[in-house]
Amino acid sequence: MRIAFAGNPNSGKTTMYNALTGRSEKVGNWAGVTVGRKESPIKEAFTKGKEVIAVDLPGAYSMSPFTPEESITSEFVRDEHPDAIINIVDATNLSRSLFFTTQLLELGIPVVVALNKSDISDKEQTKIDVDKLSQKLNCPVVKTVSTAEKNNGLDKVVEKAVSLAGTAQTAPYVQADIDLKDKAAVDREDRKRFDFVNGIVKDVEVREVLSSETQQSDKVDSVLTNPVIGILIFAAVMYGVFWISQAWAGPGIADWLVGWIETFQEWVAGQLENSPAIVSAIVADGIVGGVGAVVGFLPLVMIMYFLLALLEDCGYMARVSAVMDPIFKRVGLSGKAIIPIIIGTGCGIPAIMACRTIRDDRERRASAMLTTFIPCGAKIPVIALFAGAFFAGAGWVSTVAYFLGIVLIFLGALLIKAITGYKYRKSFFIIELPMWKVPSLKRAFLSMMERAKAYIIKAATIILICNCVVQVMQSFNWQFQVVEEGMEDTSILASIASPFAILLIPLGFGAWQLAAAAVTGFIAKENVVGTLAVVYGLTNFIDVDELEMTGDGNVVAATMGLTSVAALAYLFFNLYTPPCFAAIGAMNSEMKSKAWLWSAIGLQLATGYTVAFLVYQIGTLITEGHLGTGFLPGLIAIIVIALIIVAIARRVRAHFDQQYSLHENAKAAA
Amino acid sequence: MNIQTIIAVVITAVILLLAIRYIYREKKKGTKCIGCPFAGECTKYGHHTETENCHLPE
Amino acid sequence: MLNKVRDMTLLEGNVGETYTVKGINTSDEDMNAFLFRLGCYSGEPITLMSKKKKNCIVVIKDSRYSMDNVLAEAIAI
Repeated sequence: MRIAFAGNPNSGKTTMYNALTGRSEKVGNWAGVTVGRKESPIKEAFTKGKEVIAVDLPGAYSMSPFTPEESITSEFVRDEHPDAIINIVDATNLSRSLFFTTQLLELGIPVVVALNKSDISDKEQTKIDVDKLSQKLNCPVVKTVSTAEKNNGLDKVVEKAVSLAGTAQTAPYVQADIDLKDKAAVDREDRKRFDFVNGIVKDVEVREVLSSETQQSDKVDSVLTNPVIGILIFAAVMYGVFWISQAWAGPGIADWLVGWIETFQEWVAGQLENSPAIVSAIVADGIVGGVGAVVGFLPLVMIMYFLLALLEDCGYMARVSAVMDPIFKRVGLSGKAIIPIIIGTGCGIPAIMACRTIRDDRERRASAMLTTFIPCGAKIPVIALFAGAFFAGAGWVSTVAYFLGIVLIFLGALLIKAITGYKYRKSFFIIELPMWKVPSLKRAFLSMMERAKAYIIKAATIILICNCVVQVMQSFNWQFQVVEEGMEDTSILASIASPFAILLIPLGFGAWQLAAAAVTGFIAKENVVGTLAVVYGLTNFIDVDELEMTGDGNVVAATMGLTSVAALAYLFFNLYTPPCFAAIGAMNSEMKSKAWLWSAIGLQLATGYTVAFLVYQIGTLITEGHLGTGFLPGLIAIIVIALIIVAIARRVRAHFDQQYSLHENAKAAA
Repeated sequence: MNIQTIIAVVITAVILLLAIRYIYREKKKGTKCIGCPFAGECTKYGHHTETENCHLPE
Repeated sequence: MLNKVRDMTLLEGNVGETYTVKGINTSDEDMNAFLFRLGCYSGEPITLMSKKKKNCIVVIKDSRYSMDNVLAEAIAI
């Protein structure tokens, strides 16, 4: 038996879904969090032993879809015949929500209305006559509070849904049979439907506080959406998040954790003193050292996720979206693109998927390919490593990394706008401002733990294996003999990585070890740290001091043989090149077009390369008075890239012009 | 080969095996990002996913 | 010469007042339909809560929305 969860965006469907199935799908206090459908069995306690599968769907305002994810919902309920529908209705805006409800009731599938957020509507002193509503809709209506632990009405909802499954239900309002292509007729019918809904609401709902009255939260919103103050507040909030997680509480806890890891590693190394060097290398350096290096950054990532969860829960995201819209409009995006970017500071994959709520094709694809320029959680260890080793843990490195990410997003957007020509379409922006909510600490904590678990699993599997492979490849040469100390250049790893390294010479880091680390970064960005730990045989990578780096930070610097400028260039290279394969996969799903996908990857490679080149060359010029190695070849490479972009731009423009004129002709002919 | 070496090798082998087995299982389930809590959202956009998740969670 | 008086747009409205929508004039039909589904169509009330340089906040059917002024200009009141 399948029960679909349908309703307006941000009405509480996913929260209820999580409560009933025990899953923890992403929730957030803004419209457009759920972008795809999810299925899972409902816990037996609710279904009294029956096997019932819950299907969580993206929010929709109506059966006629406006955004891509709304069509997922309408297609599902229409084509896949769920046995029952639980229509989650936000009790605080009955007048809008019931429109969709009446449409669902016409489908011939039994519907149970869950009047959710009842606690909020009660607090607002809005009285809803549940029995009368149920009578008028001709279906059961159950008051629910899906965020409550107990007495939330969930069991009653499920009970009713299960009992009605497969039965018939008469719709209280049936749309007249009209030609759906006749716009005027459709409009007429929609109005009639709304009239019906208006009638019900008038009968059933009594409001103490009119929604058009100004409330405290409106004053707050007015400040937050102020073009100047609003943006400053946003910048301050994000800075606060980063500072707490990466400069204050995060490193504080990390120090402690890292102390333990280090002790453990020393112990292991000690135990293996009398073993063949290769064993010690793989176990102590590769596994404990490499994985330990990555795990040491876990507290930073955890705290960041906690803070982001709080931010996402309170309702601020929609306000940010509104206030950033004017700026984003200038580069051809919309305010909706800021949400993927904020999510992207955690992980790039949900960020790319969050782009689905952007209606305009070009905008959506542009956002998807640009959102990975903002450093994700996996890149935090890389930033922290280099900040510690080369810049004595200075805070500006991290700040610049994020700031530059945003700058690149804007520049990239401008580039895409220039190539694809934005002026053809007027893009309107409207976003619902959900009610402010005190963020749930419990939920944020759970979300943080989920993320921590994922991080550890990733470290214990992918990063572990990568480190071992790298360690092995570094320790043996092609004849499978163990490589002598100082002869690492003959190892398997060196021979594979060297060709790549040549390409990186103009960027200041043409060493095979660095090339290898960058390549492993595509499997997981944390691997950059892990691989570096392995290839440079750096055991005491992390220590109790400053941002995870030791006084041995200098050892690290010396071993890598990089100048500070080159190190910065290398850091930026890893941050702004294409993301890990998983994220590229997510991009692929979003682009739905090989052309766009390869453009995205191309753009990202070009960006990483160019930024590193500029930083290295100009930086060396400033600090040492001369240009770095390989200036000319690098410059040529970049000029070639620029020419390719111009060529592509010309072609795309011509194509668009053609398309647009055809479109115009068709419209004129119609 | 002393006892420590043997223990180390055995433990390493076991960990690696578990890791590889985990990744293999996840790949079969279709999870794109190992350990990623949003694995459920990684469906191909606009395309009906098979109801392969219709088994009770282990 | 007959001079048709243009309807006032939402952008020209006063903050804090509730108006009745007279029509929606975006050149995008889908957008019109979307606004409709939110409850923004001729005959329905809309309240202007805040007006800024580039965007404004409105109340439609008990929910608050932020929209850019280009859209506000397309709503006749």
